[in-house]
Amino acid sequence: MASSENISSARPLTVIRGLLGSQRRFQRVQQIVIFIIMAIGAVAMIAPFEWMLATSFSRSANVAMPRIPTFWPSDPSLFNYKVAITNLPLVRYYINSLFVTAASTLGYLFFSSLTGYAFAKGRFVGKSVLFIILLTTLMIPFEIRMIPMYLLMRQLHLSDTYAALILPFISGGFGTFLMRQYISAIPDELIDAARVDGANELTIYARIILPLCGPALAALTVLSALWRWNDVLWPLLVISDRSLYTITFGLAIASRSQGIFTGVALATSAIAILPLMILYLFLQRYIIRGIMLTGLKG
Amino acid sequence: MLRKLRKSLIWYVFVAPTFFLYALFVAYPTFETFRLSFFHEVATRQEFVGALHYIRLLSNRVFLAALLNTAFLGILFLIIIIPISLVMASLLNNLRVWPNLFKAIYFLPQITSTVAVALVFSYVFQPNWGLVNGLLRELGVNPLPLWLAEPRYVLTGSRAAVTILAVWVALGYYMLIFQAGLQAVPAELYDAAVVDGAGPFQTWWLITLPSLRPTFIFLYITGTIDAMSRFSDLWMLGGPAGTPARSLQTIVLYMYQTAFESNDFNLASAAGVILFVIVLILTLVNFRSFLQREFSGQSGA
Repeated sequence: MASSENISSARPLTVIRGLLGSQRRFQRVQQIVIFIIMAIGAVAMIAPFEWMLATSFSRSANVAMPRIPTFWPSDPSLFNYKVAITNLPLVRYYINSLFVTAASTLGYLFFSSLTGYAFAKGRFVGKSVLFIILLTTLMIPFEIRMIPMYLLMRQLHLSDTYAALILPFISGGFGTFLMRQYISAIPDELIDAARVDGANELTIYARIILPLCGPALAALTVLSALWRWNDVLWPLLVISDRSLYTITFGLAIASRSQGIFTGVALATSAIAILPLMILYLFLQRYIIRGIMLTGLKG
Repeated sequence: MLRKLRKSLIWYVFVAPTFFLYALFVAYPTFETFRLSFFHEVATRQEFVGALHYIRLLSNRVFLAALLNTAFLGILFLIIIIPISLVMASLLNNLRVWPNLFKAIYFLPQITSTVAVALVFSYVFQPNWGLVNGLLRELGVNPLPLWLAEPRYVLTGSRAAVTILAVWVALGYYMLIFQAGLQAVPAELYDAAVVDGAGPFQTWWLITLPSLRPTFIFLYITGTIDAMSRFSDLWMLGGPAGTPARSLQTIVLYMYQTAFESNDFNLASAAGVILFVIVLILTLVNFRSFLQREFSGQSGA
Protein backbone atom coordinates (compact mmCIF):
# COMPACT_ATOMS: atom_id res chain seq x y z
CA MET A 1 0.00 0.00 0.00
CA ALA A 2 2.65 2.42 1.07
CA SER A 3 4.87 1.65 -1.87
CA SER A 4 2.05 2.09 -4.38
CA GLU A 5 1.40 5.55 -2.87
CA ASN A 6 5.02 6.45 -3.34
CA ILE A 7 5.03 5.36 -6.95
CA SER A 8 1.91 7.35 -7.78
CA SER A 9 3.26 10.52 -6.18
CA ALA A 10 6.60 10.11 -7.87
CA ARG A 11 4.91 9.97 -11.28
CA PRO A 12 4.38 13.73 -11.92
CA LEU A 13 8.09 14.21 -11.41
CA THR A 14 8.90 11.46 -13.89
CA VAL A 15 6.56 13.14 -16.35
CA ILE A 16 8.34 16.47 -15.92
CA ARG A 17 11.69 14.78 -16.36
CA GLY A 18 10.41 13.11 -19.49
CA LEU A 19 9.20 16.43 -20.87
CA LEU A 20 12.55 18.02 -20.26
CA GLY A 21 14.38 15.24 -22.00
CA SER A 22 16.84 14.12 -19.36
CA GLN A 23 17.54 14.27 -15.69
CA ARG A 24 20.53 16.51 -16.31
CA ARG A 25 18.34 19.02 -18.07
CA PHE A 26 15.85 18.86 -15.19
CA GLN A 27 18.59 19.58 -12.71
CA ARG A 28 19.83 22.48 -14.77
CA VAL A 29 16.36 24.05 -14.84
CA GLN A 30 16.06 23.45 -11.10
CA GLN A 31 19.40 25.16 -10.52
CA ILE A 32 18.36 28.15 -12.63
CA VAL A 33 15.05 28.54 -10.79
CA ILE A 34 16.78 28.39 -7.38
CA PHE A 35 19.43 30.80 -8.57
CA ILE A 36 16.82 33.34 -9.73
CA ILE A 37 14.94 33.14 -6.40
CA MET A 38 18.16 33.58 -4.43
CA ALA A 39 19.23 36.46 -6.68
CA ILE A 40 15.94 38.30 -6.13
CA GLY A 41 16.44 37.92 -2.39
CA ALA A 42 20.03 39.13 -2.69
CA VAL A 43 18.88 42.25 -4.57
CA ALA A 44 16.40 42.94 -1.76
CA MET A 45 19.27 42.60 0.73
CA ILE A 46 21.60 44.96 -1.09
CA ALA A 47 19.11 47.52 -2.49
CA PRO A 48 18.64 49.53 0.75
CA PHE A 49 22.43 49.80 1.19
CA GLU A 50 22.94 50.76 -2.46
CA TRP A 51 20.15 53.33 -2.27
CA MET A 52 21.74 54.74 0.90
CA LEU A 53 25.09 55.09 -0.90
CA ALA A 54 23.57 56.69 -4.01
CA THR A 55 21.63 59.19 -1.91
CA SER A 56 24.65 59.94 0.29
CA PHE A 57 26.58 61.14 -2.78
CA SER A 58 23.77 63.42 -3.93
CA ARG A 59 23.87 67.02 -2.73
CA SER A 60 20.36 67.76 -3.95
CA ALA A 61 18.99 64.92 -1.78
CA ASN A 62 19.08 67.36 1.14
CA VAL A 63 16.64 69.69 -0.59
CA ALA A 64 14.35 67.40 -2.56
CA MET A 65 14.47 63.67 -3.04
CA PRO A 66 13.59 62.32 -6.49
CA ARG A 67 10.09 60.84 -6.51
CA ILE A 68 11.41 57.83 -8.39
CA PRO A 69 14.18 56.15 -6.40
CA THR A 70 17.53 56.24 -8.18
CA PHE A 71 20.43 53.92 -7.55
CA TRP A 72 22.98 56.29 -9.01
CA PRO A 73 23.39 59.92 -7.88
CA SER A 74 22.39 62.43 -10.57
CA ASP A 75 24.85 64.97 -9.16
CA PRO A 76 27.72 62.97 -7.59
CA SER A 77 29.55 64.99 -4.95
CA LEU A 78 31.31 64.47 -1.63
CA PHE A 79 29.44 67.40 -0.11
CA ASN A 80 27.39 65.29 2.34
CA TYR A 81 30.49 63.47 3.56
CA LYS A 82 32.30 66.77 4.19
CA VAL A 83 29.34 68.09 6.16
CA ALA A 84 29.04 64.83 8.11
CA ILE A 85 32.70 64.89 9.12
CA THR A 86 32.60 68.57 10.13
CA ASN A 87 29.31 68.19 12.00
CA LEU A 88 30.33 65.28 14.18
CA PRO A 89 33.69 64.10 15.57
CA LEU A 90 33.33 60.82 13.70
CA VAL A 91 37.04 59.95 13.94
CA ARG A 92 36.84 60.29 17.70
CA TYR A 93 33.73 58.11 17.75
CA TYR A 94 35.55 55.48 15.74
CA ILE A 95 38.55 55.48 18.07
CA ASN A 96 36.19 55.15 21.05
CA SER A 97 34.41 52.21 19.40
CA LEU A 98 37.69 50.49 18.58
CA PHE A 99 39.01 50.95 22.10
CA VAL A 100 35.85 49.87 23.91
CA THR A 101 35.32 46.88 21.61
CA ALA A 102 38.95 45.73 21.80
CA ALA A 103 39.21 46.11 25.58
CA SER A 104 35.95 44.35 26.40
CA THR A 105 36.57 41.59 23.88
CA LEU A 106 40.08 40.90 25.20
CA GLY A 107 38.71 40.76 28.73
CA TYR A 108 35.84 38.53 27.64
CA LEU A 109 38.23 36.08 25.95
CA PHE A 110 40.61 36.03 28.89
CA PHE A 111 38.11 35.55 31.71
CA SER A 112 35.87 33.17 29.73
CA SER A 113 38.77 30.89 28.86
CA LEU A 114 40.41 31.06 32.30
CA THR A 115 37.18 30.27 34.15
CA GLY A 116 36.15 27.81 31.45
CA TYR A 117 39.44 25.96 31.97
CA ALA A 118 38.82 25.73 35.70
CA PHE A 119 35.30 24.34 35.15
CA ALA A 120 36.47 21.90 32.47
CA LYS A 121 39.60 20.46 34.06
CA GLY A 122 39.81 21.74 37.62
CA ARG A 123 39.04 19.77 40.77
CA PHE A 124 37.58 21.85 43.56
CA VAL A 125 34.72 21.79 46.04
CA GLY A 126 31.49 23.38 44.77
CA LYS A 127 32.44 23.18 41.11
CA SER A 128 29.08 22.09 39.72
CA VAL A 129 27.07 24.39 41.99
CA LEU A 130 29.16 27.38 40.95
CA PHE A 131 28.81 26.43 37.30
CA ILE A 132 25.02 26.22 37.53
CA ILE A 133 24.92 29.61 39.29
CA LEU A 134 26.93 31.07 36.42
CA LEU A 135 24.58 29.53 33.86
CA THR A 136 21.65 31.47 35.31
CA THR A 137 23.12 34.50 33.52
CA LEU A 138 21.80 33.03 30.30
CA MET A 139 18.26 33.42 31.60
CA ILE A 140 18.61 36.99 32.86
CA PRO A 141 18.58 39.37 29.88
CA PHE A 142 20.56 42.57 30.25
CA GLU A 143 17.38 44.66 29.98
CA ILE A 144 16.11 43.26 33.29
CA ARG A 145 19.25 44.37 35.12
CA MET A 146 19.82 47.69 33.39
CA ILE A 147 18.27 50.06 35.95
CA PRO A 148 20.27 48.88 39.00
CA MET A 149 23.36 48.66 36.78
CA TYR A 150 22.87 52.28 35.82
CA LEU A 151 22.40 53.29 39.48
CA LEU A 152 25.48 51.28 40.43
CA MET A 153 27.59 53.07 37.83
CA ARG A 154 26.42 56.39 39.20
CA GLN A 155 27.27 55.36 42.77
CA LEU A 156 30.73 54.20 41.73
CA HIS A 157 31.24 57.47 39.83
CA LEU A 158 31.83 55.49 36.67
CA SER A 159 29.17 57.21 34.55
CA ASP A 160 30.77 58.90 31.55
CA THR A 161 33.93 56.79 31.66
CA TYR A 162 35.31 54.12 29.37
CA ALA A 163 35.18 51.75 32.34
CA ALA A 164 31.38 51.94 32.33
CA LEU A 165 31.32 50.74 28.73
CA ILE A 166 33.88 47.97 29.30
CA LEU A 167 33.71 46.51 32.84
CA PRO A 168 30.22 44.95 32.78
CA PHE A 169 31.06 42.98 29.66
CA ILE A 170 34.53 41.51 30.27
CA SER A 171 33.11 38.24 31.52
CA GLY A 172 29.91 36.36 30.96
CA GLY A 173 28.03 33.13 31.49
CA PHE A 174 27.82 32.31 27.81
CA GLY A 175 31.54 32.73 27.13
CA THR A 176 32.46 30.60 30.12
CA PHE A 177 29.95 27.95 29.12
CA LEU A 178 31.27 27.78 25.55
CA MET A 179 34.92 27.63 26.66
CA ARG A 180 34.16 24.94 29.23
CA GLN A 181 32.47 22.79 26.57
CA TYR A 182 35.37 23.30 24.21
CA ILE A 183 38.16 22.70 26.73
CA SER A 184 36.43 19.56 28.08
CA ALA A 185 37.18 17.92 24.72
CA ILE A 186 40.93 18.44 25.13
CA PRO A 187 42.52 15.12 26.26
CA ASP A 188 43.66 15.01 29.89
CA GLU A 189 46.90 13.27 28.85
CA LEU A 190 48.19 16.49 27.30
CA ILE A 191 47.68 18.33 30.58
CA ASP A 192 49.04 15.51 32.72
CA ALA A 193 52.18 15.30 30.59
CA ALA A 194 52.79 19.01 31.15
CA ARG A 195 52.23 18.59 34.89
CA VAL A 196 54.81 15.82 35.02
CA ASP A 197 57.22 18.23 33.36
CA GLY A 198 56.58 20.59 36.27
CA ALA A 199 54.33 23.14 34.57
CA ASN A 200 51.90 24.98 36.85
CA GLU A 201 48.22 25.59 35.97
CA LEU A 202 48.82 29.09 34.63
CA THR A 203 51.53 27.83 32.27
CA ILE A 204 49.30 24.97 31.14
CA TYR A 205 46.49 27.46 30.51
CA ALA A 206 48.71 29.80 28.49
CA ARG A 207 50.88 27.26 26.65
CA ILE A 208 48.57 24.29 26.09
CA ILE A 209 44.92 25.22 26.51
CA LEU A 210 44.78 28.60 24.77
CA PRO A 211 46.61 27.52 21.58
CA LEU A 212 44.13 24.65 21.18
CA CYS A 213 41.07 26.88 21.57
CA GLY A 214 41.42 28.83 18.31
CA PRO A 215 37.96 28.19 16.83
CA ALA A 216 36.12 28.83 20.10
CA LEU A 217 38.10 32.00 20.81
CA ALA A 218 37.48 33.20 17.25
CA ALA A 219 33.76 32.62 17.66
CA LEU A 220 33.69 34.52 20.96
CA THR A 221 35.70 37.36 19.40
CA VAL A 222 33.12 37.72 16.63
CA LEU A 223 30.19 37.72 19.04
CA SER A 224 31.71 40.03 21.62
CA ALA A 225 32.93 42.47 18.95
CA LEU A 226 29.51 42.60 17.28
CA TRP A 227 27.73 43.02 20.64
CA ARG A 228 29.98 45.82 21.83
CA TRP A 229 30.33 47.64 18.52
CA ASN A 230 26.58 47.68 17.88
CA ASP A 231 25.30 48.28 21.42
CA VAL A 232 23.21 51.37 21.92
CA LEU A 233 21.05 50.83 25.02
CA TRP A 234 23.89 50.73 27.58
CA PRO A 235 25.75 53.81 26.23
CA LEU A 236 22.37 55.57 26.22
CA LEU A 237 22.16 54.99 29.98
CA VAL A 238 25.71 55.70 31.12
CA ILE A 239 27.24 58.06 28.55
CA SER A 240 26.28 61.68 28.07
CA ASP A 241 29.74 63.12 27.37
CA ARG A 242 30.02 63.49 23.60
CA SER A 243 33.75 62.78 23.60
CA LEU A 244 32.98 59.22 24.81
CA TYR A 245 30.36 58.37 22.17
CA THR A 246 30.94 55.23 20.15
CA ILE A 247 30.28 55.40 16.42
CA THR A 248 27.02 53.45 16.74
CA PHE A 249 25.79 55.54 19.64
CA GLY A 250 26.93 58.80 18.02
CA LEU A 251 25.04 57.91 14.85
CA ALA A 252 21.93 57.10 16.89
CA ILE A 253 22.00 60.38 18.83
CA ALA A 254 22.76 62.44 15.72
CA SER A 255 19.95 60.92 13.70
CA ARG A 256 17.43 61.21 16.53
CA SER A 257 18.23 64.88 17.04
CA GLN A 258 18.66 66.16 13.48
CA GLY A 259 17.57 63.81 10.72
CA ILE A 260 16.31 66.57 8.44
CA PHE A 261 19.02 66.51 5.82
CA THR A 262 18.58 63.18 4.12
CA GLY A 263 21.86 63.27 2.21
CA VAL A 264 23.94 64.15 5.26
CA ALA A 265 22.18 61.62 7.49
CA LEU A 266 22.74 58.82 4.99
CA ALA A 267 26.38 59.87 4.47
CA THR A 268 26.86 59.64 8.24
CA SER A 269 25.38 56.17 8.36
CA ALA A 270 27.49 55.13 5.36
CA ILE A 271 30.59 56.23 7.27
CA ALA A 272 29.42 54.16 10.23
CA ILE A 273 28.62 51.07 8.15
CA LEU A 274 31.12 50.84 5.29
CA PRO A 275 34.41 50.14 7.10
CA LEU A 276 32.72 47.23 8.88
CA MET A 277 31.31 45.90 5.62
CA ILE A 278 34.76 45.95 4.03
CA LEU A 279 36.16 44.14 7.06
CA TYR A 280 33.31 41.65 6.75
CA LEU A 281 34.20 40.97 3.09
CA PHE A 282 37.60 39.71 4.21
CA LEU A 283 36.53 37.94 7.39
CA GLN A 284 33.07 36.67 6.41
CA ARG A 285 34.11 33.00 6.43
CA TYR A 286 35.36 33.27 10.01
CA ILE A 287 32.44 35.39 11.12
CA ILE A 288 29.86 33.00 9.69
CA ARG A 289 31.72 29.99 11.08
CA GLY A 290 31.82 31.66 14.51
CA ILE A 291 28.10 32.33 14.49
CA MET A 292 27.44 28.75 13.38
CA LEU A 293 29.63 27.34 16.16
CA THR A 294 27.77 29.20 18.87
CA GLY A 295 24.33 29.53 17.33
CA LEU A 296 24.11 33.06 18.68
CA LYS A 297 23.77 36.21 16.66
CA GLY A 298 25.44 39.55 16.82
CA MET B 1 45.44 18.11 53.39
CA LEU B 2 47.12 21.48 53.18
CA ARG B 3 48.76 20.45 49.94
CA LYS B 4 45.39 19.44 48.54
CA LEU B 5 43.89 22.76 49.53
CA ARG B 6 46.80 24.59 47.97
CA LYS B 7 46.29 22.59 44.81
CA SER B 8 42.64 23.54 44.51
CA LEU B 9 43.32 27.14 45.51
CA ILE B 10 44.52 27.96 42.00
CA TRP B 11 41.12 26.91 40.55
CA TYR B 12 39.34 29.31 42.88
CA VAL B 13 41.70 32.04 41.70
CA PHE B 14 40.74 31.17 38.10
CA VAL B 15 37.01 31.45 38.75
CA ALA B 16 37.19 34.38 41.20
CA PRO B 17 37.24 37.32 38.73
CA THR B 18 34.29 35.94 36.80
CA PHE B 19 32.31 35.49 40.01
CA PHE B 20 33.21 38.92 41.28
CA LEU B 21 31.90 40.45 38.05
CA TYR B 22 28.91 38.11 38.15
CA ALA B 23 28.03 39.29 41.65
CA LEU B 24 28.45 42.93 40.69
CA PHE B 25 26.71 42.99 37.31
CA VAL B 26 24.32 40.04 37.34
CA ALA B 27 23.36 38.86 40.82
CA TYR B 28 23.21 42.24 42.57
CA PRO B 29 21.32 44.09 39.79
CA THR B 30 18.80 41.26 39.42
CA PHE B 31 18.16 41.22 43.17
CA GLU B 32 18.04 45.02 43.20
CA THR B 33 15.43 45.11 40.40
CA PHE B 34 13.19 42.94 42.59
CA ARG B 35 13.86 45.05 45.68
CA LEU B 36 13.27 48.39 43.94
CA SER B 37 9.96 47.15 42.58
CA PHE B 38 8.56 46.91 46.13
CA PHE B 39 9.71 50.37 47.22
CA HIS B 40 8.79 53.93 46.52
CA GLU B 41 11.05 56.96 46.61
CA VAL B 42 9.90 59.67 49.00
CA ALA B 43 12.30 62.60 49.23
CA THR B 44 15.39 60.48 48.39
CA ARG B 45 14.33 57.82 50.93
CA GLN B 46 13.01 54.44 49.83
CA GLU B 47 9.76 53.37 51.49
CA PHE B 48 8.29 49.89 51.31
CA VAL B 49 5.01 49.87 49.43
CA GLY B 50 4.40 46.16 48.80
CA ALA B 51 2.78 45.27 45.51
CA LEU B 52 1.65 48.84 44.78
CA HIS B 53 3.70 49.17 41.58
CA TYR B 54 2.40 45.88 40.24
CA ILE B 55 -1.17 47.02 40.86
CA ARG B 56 -0.33 50.30 39.13
CA LEU B 57 1.13 48.48 36.15
CA LEU B 58 -1.66 45.98 35.71
CA SER B 59 -4.23 48.78 35.71
CA ASN B 60 -2.09 50.94 33.42
CA ARG B 61 -3.30 50.95 29.82
CA VAL B 62 0.04 52.15 28.47
CA PHE B 63 1.90 49.28 30.09
CA LEU B 64 -0.64 46.67 29.06
CA ALA B 65 -0.57 48.00 25.51
CA ALA B 66 3.23 47.75 25.50
CA LEU B 67 3.01 44.19 26.80
CA LEU B 68 0.48 43.22 24.14
CA ASN B 69 2.50 44.99 21.47
CA THR B 70 5.68 43.14 22.42
CA ALA B 71 3.87 39.82 22.11
CA PHE B 72 2.15 40.84 18.87
CA LEU B 73 5.35 42.02 17.17
CA GLY B 74 7.22 38.94 18.39
CA ILE B 75 4.63 36.42 17.16
CA LEU B 76 4.20 38.24 13.83
CA PHE B 77 7.97 38.19 13.34
CA LEU B 78 8.35 34.50 14.17
CA ILE B 79 5.47 33.23 12.03
CA ILE B 80 6.92 35.09 9.05
CA ILE B 81 10.65 34.51 9.51
CA ILE B 82 10.59 30.78 10.27
CA PRO B 83 8.83 29.53 7.09
CA ILE B 84 10.63 32.00 4.79
CA SER B 85 14.08 31.28 6.16
CA LEU B 86 13.45 27.51 6.13
CA VAL B 87 12.41 27.56 2.46
CA MET B 88 15.29 29.86 1.50
CA ALA B 89 17.79 27.71 3.41
CA SER B 90 16.49 24.54 1.75
CA LEU B 91 16.83 26.16 -1.66
CA LEU B 92 20.29 27.52 -0.92
CA ASN B 93 21.34 24.08 0.32
CA ASN B 94 20.59 22.68 -3.15
CA LEU B 95 22.27 25.50 -5.07
CA ARG B 96 25.62 24.61 -6.58
CA VAL B 97 26.53 28.02 -8.01
CA TRP B 98 27.92 30.59 -5.54
CA PRO B 99 26.15 29.29 -2.40
CA ASN B 100 28.69 31.00 -0.15
CA LEU B 101 28.33 34.33 -1.95
CA PHE B 102 24.58 34.28 -1.33
CA LYS B 103 25.11 33.24 2.27
CA ALA B 104 27.45 36.20 2.77
CA ILE B 105 25.03 38.66 1.15
CA TYR B 106 22.04 37.49 3.18
CA PHE B 107 24.11 37.80 6.32
CA LEU B 108 25.11 41.40 5.59
CA PRO B 109 22.38 43.09 7.73
CA GLN B 110 23.46 40.98 10.72
CA ILE B 111 26.88 42.58 10.95
CA THR B 112 25.48 46.07 10.41
CA SER B 113 24.39 47.83 13.57
CA THR B 114 20.67 47.91 14.28
CA VAL B 115 21.01 51.67 14.63
CA ALA B 116 22.35 52.16 11.10
CA VAL B 117 19.87 49.73 9.60
CA ALA B 118 16.93 51.40 11.36
CA LEU B 119 18.16 54.81 10.22
CA VAL B 120 18.33 53.67 6.59
CA PHE B 121 14.87 52.08 6.87
CA SER B 122 13.35 55.27 8.25
CA TYR B 123 14.14 56.66 4.80
CA VAL B 124 13.29 53.45 2.93
CA PHE B 125 9.73 53.70 4.36
CA GLN B 126 9.40 57.47 3.88
CA PRO B 127 5.87 57.85 2.40
CA ASN B 128 6.59 60.42 -0.35
CA TRP B 129 9.93 59.46 -1.82
CA GLY B 130 11.14 56.42 0.15
CA LEU B 131 12.53 53.41 -1.65
CA VAL B 132 9.48 51.22 -1.02
CA ASN B 133 6.81 53.76 -1.95
CA GLY B 134 8.84 55.00 -4.93
CA LEU B 135 8.80 51.49 -6.33
CA LEU B 136 5.12 51.00 -5.44
CA ARG B 137 4.27 54.23 -7.27
CA GLU B 138 6.09 52.93 -10.33
CA LEU B 139 3.88 49.85 -10.10
CA GLY B 140 0.82 52.10 -10.07
CA VAL B 141 -0.20 51.62 -6.43
CA ASN B 142 -2.60 54.34 -5.28
CA PRO B 143 -3.04 55.57 -2.58
CA LEU B 144 0.46 54.87 -1.30
CA PRO B 145 0.78 53.32 2.18
CA LEU B 146 1.88 55.49 5.10
CA TRP B 147 4.09 52.83 6.75
CA LEU B 148 5.78 54.32 9.82
CA ALA B 149 3.21 57.12 10.03
CA GLU B 150 0.24 54.73 10.32
CA PRO B 151 -0.32 53.47 13.91
CA ARG B 152 -3.36 51.26 13.24
CA TYR B 153 -3.30 47.48 12.90
CA VAL B 154 -3.15 47.38 9.10
CA LEU B 155 -1.01 45.49 6.62
CA THR B 156 0.97 48.59 5.66
CA GLY B 157 1.20 50.32 9.04
CA SER B 158 4.07 50.96 11.43
CA ARG B 159 3.96 47.44 12.88
CA ALA B 160 4.19 45.95 9.41
CA ALA B 161 7.12 48.22 8.55
CA VAL B 162 9.14 47.23 11.62
CA THR B 163 8.31 43.56 11.03
CA ILE B 164 9.60 43.80 7.45
CA LEU B 165 12.71 45.46 8.85
CA ALA B 166 13.20 42.71 11.45
CA VAL B 167 12.68 39.93 8.89
CA TRP B 168 15.10 41.61 6.49
CA VAL B 169 17.72 41.86 9.24
CA ALA B 170 17.28 38.36 10.68
CA LEU B 171 16.81 36.35 7.46
CA GLY B 172 20.51 35.56 6.97
CA TYR B 173 20.93 34.42 10.56
CA TYR B 174 17.85 32.17 10.53
CA MET B 175 18.92 30.71 7.17
CA LEU B 176 22.38 29.99 8.55
CA ILE B 177 20.97 28.12 11.55
CA PHE B 178 18.53 26.18 9.34
CA GLN B 179 21.35 25.30 6.94
CA ALA B 180 23.42 23.95 9.80
CA GLY B 181 20.39 21.91 10.86
CA LEU B 182 19.84 20.64 7.30
CA GLN B 183 23.43 19.54 6.98
CA ALA B 184 23.14 17.60 10.25
CA VAL B 185 20.33 15.39 8.89
CA PRO B 186 21.88 11.92 8.41
CA ALA B 187 22.40 11.11 4.72
CA GLU B 188 21.17 7.52 5.29
CA LEU B 189 17.66 8.87 5.88
CA TYR B 190 17.66 10.46 2.43
CA ASP B 191 19.12 7.34 0.83
CA ALA B 192 16.39 5.26 2.43
CA ALA B 193 13.77 7.68 1.10
CA VAL B 194 15.15 7.41 -2.43
CA VAL B 195 15.08 3.62 -2.18
CA ASP B 196 11.43 3.80 -1.08
CA GLY B 197 10.71 5.93 -4.13
CA ALA B 198 9.79 9.16 -2.32
CA GLY B 199 9.68 12.36 -4.36
CA PRO B 200 11.60 15.48 -3.38
CA PHE B 201 8.62 17.14 -1.71
CA GLN B 202 7.68 13.97 0.21
CA THR B 203 11.27 13.62 1.38
CA TRP B 204 11.30 17.22 2.54
CA TRP B 205 7.98 16.84 4.39
CA LEU B 206 8.57 13.42 5.95
CA ILE B 207 12.30 13.47 6.62
CA THR B 208 13.74 16.97 6.53
CA LEU B 209 11.06 18.74 8.60
CA PRO B 210 10.93 16.20 11.49
CA SER B 211 14.74 16.07 11.61
CA LEU B 212 14.85 19.83 12.03
CA ARG B 213 12.87 19.72 15.27
CA PRO B 214 15.84 20.76 17.47
CA THR B 215 16.56 23.67 15.13
CA PHE B 216 12.93 24.84 15.31
CA ILE B 217 13.04 24.68 19.11
CA PHE B 218 16.33 26.53 19.26
CA LEU B 219 15.15 29.34 16.96
CA TYR B 220 11.80 29.52 18.72
CA ILE B 221 13.39 29.91 22.16
CA THR B 222 16.06 32.45 21.17
CA GLY B 223 13.54 34.23 18.93
CA THR B 224 10.98 34.69 21.71
CA ILE B 225 13.57 35.96 24.19
CA ASP B 226 14.96 38.41 21.60
CA ALA B 227 11.44 39.55 20.78
CA MET B 228 10.59 40.10 24.46
CA SER B 229 13.61 42.37 24.91
CA ARG B 230 13.31 44.25 21.62
CA PHE B 231 14.49 47.83 21.93
CA SER B 232 17.09 49.40 19.62
CA ASP B 233 15.39 49.47 16.23
CA LEU B 234 12.05 50.60 17.66
CA TRP B 235 13.74 53.28 19.75
CA MET B 236 15.49 54.57 16.62
CA LEU B 237 12.26 54.65 14.60
CA GLY B 238 9.74 55.71 17.21
CA GLY B 239 11.62 57.06 20.21
CA PRO B 240 10.99 55.97 23.82
CA ALA B 241 7.21 56.30 23.34
CA GLY B 242 7.12 54.07 20.25
CA THR B 243 5.64 56.79 18.03
CA PRO B 244 3.21 56.87 16.22
CA ALA B 245 0.55 56.55 18.92
CA ARG B 246 2.68 54.09 20.94
CA SER B 247 2.19 51.53 18.17
CA LEU B 248 5.88 50.58 18.45
CA GLN B 249 6.25 50.65 22.24
CA THR B 250 7.55 47.43 23.81
CA ILE B 251 8.13 46.48 27.46
CA VAL B 252 11.77 47.56 27.36
CA LEU B 253 10.89 50.89 25.73
CA TYR B 254 8.27 51.36 28.44
CA MET B 255 10.90 50.56 31.11
CA TYR B 256 13.31 53.03 29.53
CA GLN B 257 10.72 55.79 29.29
CA THR B 258 9.45 55.24 32.84
CA ALA B 259 12.93 55.14 34.38
CA PHE B 260 14.81 57.75 32.40
CA GLU B 261 12.13 60.19 31.28
CA SER B 262 9.64 59.99 34.15
CA ASN B 263 12.39 59.19 36.69
CA ASP B 264 10.28 56.45 38.26
CA PHE B 265 12.91 53.75 38.78
CA ASN B 266 10.63 51.78 41.06
CA LEU B 267 7.78 51.45 38.60
CA ALA B 268 10.25 50.65 35.80
CA SER B 269 11.80 47.95 38.00
CA ALA B 270 8.39 46.36 38.52
CA ALA B 271 7.99 46.28 34.73
CA GLY B 272 11.44 44.67 34.59
CA VAL B 273 10.35 41.98 37.07
CA ILE B 274 7.29 41.22 34.94
CA LEU B 275 9.59 40.92 31.90
CA PHE B 276 11.83 38.61 33.93
CA VAL B 277 8.90 36.38 34.91
CA ILE B 278 7.70 36.16 31.31
CA VAL B 279 11.18 35.26 30.02
CA LEU B 280 11.55 32.73 32.84
CA ILE B 281 8.23 31.05 32.03
CA LEU B 282 9.02 30.96 28.32
CA THR B 283 12.43 29.45 29.06
CA LEU B 284 11.18 26.90 31.60
CA VAL B 285 8.41 25.74 29.28
CA ASN B 286 11.09 24.88 26.73
CA PHE B 287 13.86 24.01 29.17
CA ARG B 288 13.85 20.28 28.77
CA SER B 289 14.23 20.24 25.00
CA PHE B 290 16.80 23.04 25.20
CA LEU B 291 18.96 21.17 27.70
CA GLN B 292 18.73 17.91 25.79
CA ARG B 293 19.99 19.79 22.77
CA GLU B 294 22.85 21.52 24.53
CA PHE B 295 24.19 18.38 26.14
CA SER B 296 23.80 16.04 23.21
CA GLY B 297 26.62 17.94 21.57
CA GLN B 298 24.53 19.64 18.88
CA SER B 299 24.77 23.09 20.39
CA GLY B 300 24.41 25.91 17.94
CA ALA B 301 22.23 23.87 15.62
